[in-house]
Amino acid sequence: MLDILEPLLFALLALSILGAGLGVVLANRITTSALLMAFTFLNMAGMFVLLGAETIAAFQVLIYVGAITVLILYGIMFTPQAPRSYGLFFQQQTPAGAAIAALVALPVMGIAFAFHDAGPVGPRGGDLPRLATSVFTDFAFPFEIASVLLLAAMIGAIVLVKREP
Amino acid sequence: MTTAAGTLVPLGAFIALSAALFFIGMAGVLVRRNAVVILMSVELMLNAANLAFVAFSRRLGLLDERGSVFVIFVFVVAAAEVAVGLAIVLALYRNRPTVDVDEMREMKG
Repeated sequence: MLDILEPLLFALLALSILGAGLGVVLANRITTSALLMAFTFLNMAGMFVLLGAETIAAFQVLIYVGAITVLILYGIMFTPQAPRSYGLFFQQQTPAGAAIAALVALPVMGIAFAFHDAGPVGPRGGDLPRLATSVFTDFAFPFEIASVLLLAAMIGAIVLVKREP
Repeated sequence: MTTAAGTLVPLGAFIALSAALFFIGMAGVLVRRNAVVILMSVELMLNAANLAFVAFSRRLGLLDERGSVFVIFVFVVAAAEVAVGLAIVLALYRNRPTVDVDEMREMKG
């Protein structure tokens, strides 16, 4: 009974992620795209829990489902969306774009299944102490750079959308 | 491969899902013409990369969390990217009322 629980959960989450991901690309209305994107991110958080990375899953919900989705929804509200903003199947570059994506995807998908687990699987859960140790010892300098990057992005975004007096 | 908790999903399945989502996002970037939808597709691609990072980090038998640290940095970059990207879209829209990337040709000589 418990044996099939994890593959079952994986299959459910994977189907949701792929379905909602396709929905983001194909949806007619842009607000639908944005909400499906939030759903994809939520299922991805479930996938992280399945992998035993609870801290990353929490960050995923906080940053992606919380912040980025709201930001994108704001962007949609601030820009008028044409009723026929679809233009998906009746333009020249669609066949070329789809062909390129499929051409690159097929070999990569073949390679992906060739990866196998190596060695013992790490302990499930409790990844926060090890994560924090890594961030503040080996990756202390990139961590500081990231804070500068966020500050620069914040100032840049404000300057870009500021109205001229 | 089994543990006390039951059958484990193989690493290859996670990587394949990550690749599939990545290419869905890539198709979105190549096919859609709305700038906001392109930003969303880029977010999907970043998230697919995150899944691969976490899967390798948890399943390759390493005891530290270096792969997951990179996921945190990807979160930071994604947040910065979407903030600046949307700001650029809004600034462009203010100069010219469109969010269609085919219509944006200000830089073209």
